[in-house]
Amino acid sequence: MEEFNEKLKNEGIIYNLLKNVIDPEVGVNIVDMGLVYEIDYAESEKTIHIKMTLSSPGCPLGDVIIQDVKATIAGTYKNFEPIVELVWEPTWSPDMMTKEGKEALGY
Amino acid sequence: MQSLNTTSAPHSSVVIPHYIFAALSFFILAFLIIISNNSLIGHYFQPKLLAITHVATLGWGTMTIFGALYQLLPVISSSSLFSEKLAKTTFYVFGLGIILLVISFWKFSTGSFFIVSASVVFTAFLLFSTNILLTIQKSPKKDIETISIAISAIWLILTGLLGLLLVINFTYPIFKQSHFLFLTTHAHLGIIGWFLFLIMGASAKLVPMFLISHQLNRKKLHLAFYSVNLSLILFSLNWMIFHIEIVNYIAFVFILVGIISFITYLYESYKKRVRKVLDIGMKHTAVAFIAVILPLILGFISIYKLNFNTTTLLQIIIAYGFTVLLGTISSLILGQTYKTLPFIVWLAKYQKFVGKAKTPLPKEIYSEKILVVQYIVYLIAVIVLTIGILLSSKLTITTGAVFLLVTAILFNINVFKILLHKPKIEIKA
Repeated sequence: MEEFNEKLKNEGIIYNLLKNVIDPEVGVNIVDMGLVYEIDYAESEKTIHIKMTLSSPGCPLGDVIIQDVKATIAGTYKNFEPIVELVWEPTWSPDMMTKEGKEALGY
Repeated sequence: MQSLNTTSAPHSSVVIPHYIFAALSFFILAFLIIISNNSLIGHYFQPKLLAITHVATLGWGTMTIFGALYQLLPVISSSSLFSEKLAKTTFYVFGLGIILLVISFWKFSTGSFFIVSASVVFTAFLLFSTNILLTIQKSPKKDIETISIAISAIWLILTGLLGLLLVINFTYPIFKQSHFLFLTTHAHLGIIGWFLFLIMGASAKLVPMFLISHQLNRKKLHLAFYSVNLSLILFSLNWMIFHIEIVNYIAFVFILVGIISFITYLYESYKKRVRKVLDIGMKHTAVAFIAVILPLILGFISIYKLNFNTTTLLQIIIAYGFTVLLGTISSLILGQTYKTLPFIVWLAKYQKFVGKAKTPLPKEIYSEKILVVQYIVYLIAVIVLTIGILLSSKLTITTGAVFLLVTAILFNINVFKILLHKPKIEIKA
């Protein structure tokens, strides 16, 4: 139970940490854009698995965003390996944005 | 995994020189219009106007497109550029060719210097198209956008070939018919085949990406692609060979259908956009597509003549060319430079710091204020110049050209501000 709580607590921290990753074109962070689908903190394997998408396939800044996600996590979780899995299902839609994300884009 | 493209993008040293050459050409273009305001009145076939036209089409328009395409084609085709060395070589050949050709037109002394100049430009077209076509050939996806770009590269070769033949014809007459028929074809192979096709292919991909819009009706793109191609083939063959009046009417209908179909695709993207607020770069782009209506009307009058007298018709033809080059194409370039160049420079200077240090955003490395003023001054310049050309008013043309020069100066300030940007980073705690 304690391990489960630790996992939840860290996934919450990572979620907030990823708010520092900003899409350089749009100027909004990837959490508020609704691009982060899943965060899996695995203490035993020492991995942090991020399942995420992009607002448009073939986005020219896609690998910069992924690089940013990995470096941001690695900066705080120094003993963990950040793994980013890019997925296209479910397809990203504006409904996935947070209230703050929608406000930032005037949606 | 979907291909992600900053890794397949060429080195910034391949792309950036094109933007520098283009920005300086835009400045020279405005300056040349001021010192030869007479050239925009009367017949369009006069040395200085031909020189100015080639500064606009080659030095400004095509040079920007070459650079931007080297950066964007990997995004559009999911395939890295065939050869960066070839791209660099092409830049030098093309740059030299443009300078020689513009001098040749300005002085208009026919002969071997003129022919060599045109040959150098044509060689650059061949090198560029080879690079583009071989990049697309190894691309895993060949959608309508990618095919449009491939076709535009082929039309570019034909534009250059006909241009070279026209230049040879000045010294060694090879055309049995009036060279104006070939000149008209050359101009439209360039305007429709090269610029329009390229713009259609690139914008169909980039506009929805910048606006973040999904689930668009791609049938509109297919219709636009086939209609515009068919129109250009009909126009070209009819001007050079058949000379049947009704064919011009049919070709005009096809181009109208094609452009309307394409604009409705972009409008759908605009209506379905997630990013409600348009930045100035996208506003410039929107103006470019709205402004297409002007050359369509002026082009329609040029073909059907209506009841205008010859003097007025000649001004309409010049205004037609002007609204294509300095209305639609320039507005698009002015806007899209701000959507591409800051990112290219930003990636070159900041990519290694991403996630490790706080970096400015790409849009923070140029002056937004200058961009806003540039946008307004540009709109004034185009409106005043178009009116000046249509009214054959030298004073109005000079006034408009001064506004254009101010636009060019502001644009150059921002371009060099971007290029000379010194990295500012704050290391994250």
